Amino acid sequence: MGTLELDGVTKVFPDGDGEVVAVDDVDIEMRDGEFLVVVGPSGCGKSTTLRMVAGLETISSGEIRLAGQRVNDVKPQHRDIAMVFQSYALYPHMTVEGNMAFGLEESTELSDEEIETRVADAAETMGIAELLDRKPADLSGGQRQRVALGRAIVRDPEVFLMDEPLSNLDAKLRSEMRTELQRLQDELDVTTMYVTHDQTEAMTMGDRIAILNAGELQQVATPLECYHEPANRFVAGFIGDPSMNFFPVERDDETLVADVFDYPLSAPTLDDVGAVTDLTLGVRPEDIALAGDSSGEHTFSTVVEVVEPMGDENTVYLRFADAPEGETFIATVGGLQQVSAGDEITVEIPEETIHLFDGVSGEAVHNREIDE
Amino acid sequence: MTRNTDTGDDSGDAVTDGGVAEEGQRSGFSPVAALNERFGSDFVESSQFWLPPFLLVGLFVYGAIIWNLLISLTDFTGFGTPDYSDLDFQMYSRALADSGFVDAAINTFILLVGFTLVTLALGLGLAILIDRNIRFENTFRTIYLLPMSLSFVVTAQFWAWMFNFNNGVINIVITSLGLGRVDWIGNPDIVLWAVMFALMWQFAGYAMVVFLAGLRAIPNEHYEAAKVDGASTVRMYWRVIIPQLKGSTISASVVLMVFALKAFDFLYSLVGGYRPPNGADILATKMVREAYANLNWAYASAVAITLFVMTLGIVGPYLYYQYNRGNL
Repeated sequence: MGTLELDGVTKVFPDGDGEVVAVDDVDIEMRDGEFLVVVGPSGCGKSTTLRMVAGLETISSGEIRLAGQRVNDVKPQHRDIAMVFQSYALYPHMTVEGNMAFGLEESTELSDEEIETRVADAAETMGIAELLDRKPADLSGGQRQRVALGRAIVRDPEVFLMDEPLSNLDAKLRSEMRTELQRLQDELDVTTMYVTHDQTEAMTMGDRIAILNAGELQQVATPLECYHEPANRFVAGFIGDPSMNFFPVERDDETLVADVFDYPLSAPTLDDVGAVTDLTLGVRPEDIALAGDSSGEHTFSTVVEVVEPMGDENTVYLRFADAPEGETFIATVGGLQQVSAGDEITVEIPEETIHLFDGVSGEAVHNREIDE
Repeated sequence: MTRNTDTGDDSGDAVTDGGVAEEGQRSGFSPVAALNERFGSDFVESSQFWLPPFLLVGLFVYGAIIWNLLISLTDFTGFGTPDYSDLDFQMYSRALADSGFVDAAINTFILLVGFTLVTLALGLGLAILIDRNIRFENTFRTIYLLPMSLSFVVTAQFWAWMFNFNNGVINIVITSLGLGRVDWIGNPDIVLWAVMFALMWQFAGYAMVVFLAGLRAIPNEHYEAAKVDGASTVRMYWRVIIPQLKGSTISASVVLMVFALKAFDFLYSLVGGYRPPNGADILATKMVREAYANLNWAYASAVAITLFVMTLGIVGPYLYYQYNRGNL
C-alpha cells in the first residue's frame, strides 16, 4: 500500500530576480516496503526532495503520489507520513512518552489507553522503555536518536522520511544505529526514504540508491549496480571510497591515448565505444594490481608518491613514470604488501575492470565486466 | 534582616549577604583568614572594589527602605521630626479601615493582573504573527515597539486627549457609528479599564519583543515535526510552541507587573495632579497624595511598605525560580 511515486517533480526557488532550480524533473518510484536512500553532495536537492514528499515545501511542478493518491496539495498533517529530522526535533518541554504520544494524539482518534500501549510497545522495540519519563535534555545523543525513531515508528505511517538521521552521532554509534535501522525497517516493512550525504550509509542500508547531483537524478539502482555499472561519471566518482581514478583520453583507432600512457583496447570494448573519440577512462583503486613485470599490454611503470597504511590495506598514491610530480592516481593494495614512497613499481590496469565515459556528456559508454 | 538578604539578591553578585556574615565571623582569632576561608581566597583583598558600591547601595536603597519601615511605625504627620520612641502598627490598622486605601489596593491588584494578562496575550499574538515570515517584518516590529520608547507622560497626555468626552477621537468615532458618547475618564466604573487599555497599548510591543526572542530560539524543525505529526497550526502553537515560551512569559510578566505597580507617572500625568480620576486611584498615587498633599508621612510610609511587600511578592518567586534554574 505504501508506494511512493515522484513524477517529474521540480522545485524552483526564487533567488533575487532570477530562479534557482533545486530539484529538476525527478522521477522515482518506490514499491511498498522499499528502503530507498537518496544520496548526493551538499546542495544537490536531496533534502528538498524529501521535504516536498513531507509537504514542508511546495512542489513547483510534477506530481507526488502516496499510495496511488496525488498529495501535491495535501497538507503535511494529512499525509500519512512520519519524519525523523537531523536535529531530532524532540519537543524539549515534553517527556519521552509525551514526545512519542504527540503524533498519535494529534493524528488519530485513539483512546488514551490505546496510545499508551502503542507508545510502550514502540519504546520496547527501540529499547528506551526505561527512559519514558525523562525529558530530552536528560538524554544522550544516541538515546535522543532512538526517541526520534520511536516517535516515527509509533505512528505506523505509510512512509518514513529520514533526513540524515545519523549524522549527529559519533562513528561507532553511527554504525550501530545503521545496522539497527536496517533491522527495524526490515521488521516493520514500511516504505522508507532516507536522505544522506554519506555514501557508506547509502551502500549498506538501501535496497536501492537514488543519486542526485545539482538537482538532477543521476541513477536509481541497487547499491552494487551503482558501484559496478554507474550510469555516468558523476555516479562513478561519488560512489566508492577512495573514489575511482579518471584519466582523460583520446581514442586513436584501437588505442586510448593519454598524455603519459597508451592503453590498447580489445574488440568487444571497442564495439561499446562506437564512434566516440573524446573519452574518460575510469578505474577503481582496488582494480589496479601490482604486476611482476612490465611485459603485459596493460602494465605501466609508476613511482610511489605517498603510502597511507590502513592496516587491512594500503592506499597508494602513484604517478606514471613520465607524469609530472603531484599528478597522482590511487591504488589500494593488500596491507601486507611492502610498498614505500619513492619505489618504482609496475602496475597493471586489467581491461576487464575499466569503465569508459563520454568525455563531454559524462555518460557511461562501457562498464566493467562482472563475473556472474 | 531577612528582607535585606532577599532584596540583596536583586543585584545578583557575591556581595549580597557578605554584610551578614561579617558580624558572625568577627569572633575568629584571625578575621581576614576566616573571611577568606568562608567566601573565597580574595574576599578581603577584593573588598576595595565591591565594598564602596556595596555600602552606598546598602545605605541609600536598603537603608532608606528600613528607615521608611521605621517611619511607618510612628505617628509622624505635618512638619517637625518623627518620634521614634513610640512604635506601633497603628498606621496599618488605619489603612485597613480606610476605604480609600482598600479601593486603591483593589485597583492596584486589578491593574496588576488584568494589565499583565492582556498585555502578555496581545504581545504573544503580535509576536506569533510577526514571526510567520511576513513582509515588512522589521517595519512592523519597530511600529509595535515604538510606544514603549515614549515616556509615560507623553502617553498619558495623548490618551487623555483621545479619551476626551467632547473632542476625543474615540468618542468621535463612536458617535459617528451612531453610538452614544462614553465618559472614559469621568466614569469611575470605566476609567480603570481605559487606563489599562492605554498602558497595554504602550507595553504590548515590549511583550512582543520578549516573545519574539523566545520564538526565534525555537528551531524550525519543531514546527515542521509538529506539522508532520499531524497537528493543526493552532494545536501546534498551543502544544509545542507556546509551552516553550515559559521563560519569556515569566520574564515579561515580572517586568509588566512591576510597571503596573509604578503606574503612578501615568495617572499623575493624566490629570496633572495627585488626585487621579475617581475609580482609578492606586496605591502609588494614594501614597504620594498622603505624603505630599496631606503631609501624613507615617501613613504614606505604611502605604509604601504595603506596595513594597507586593513588589517582593512578585519579584521574590521570580528570583527563586531563576535561582533554582542556576541563573543566579
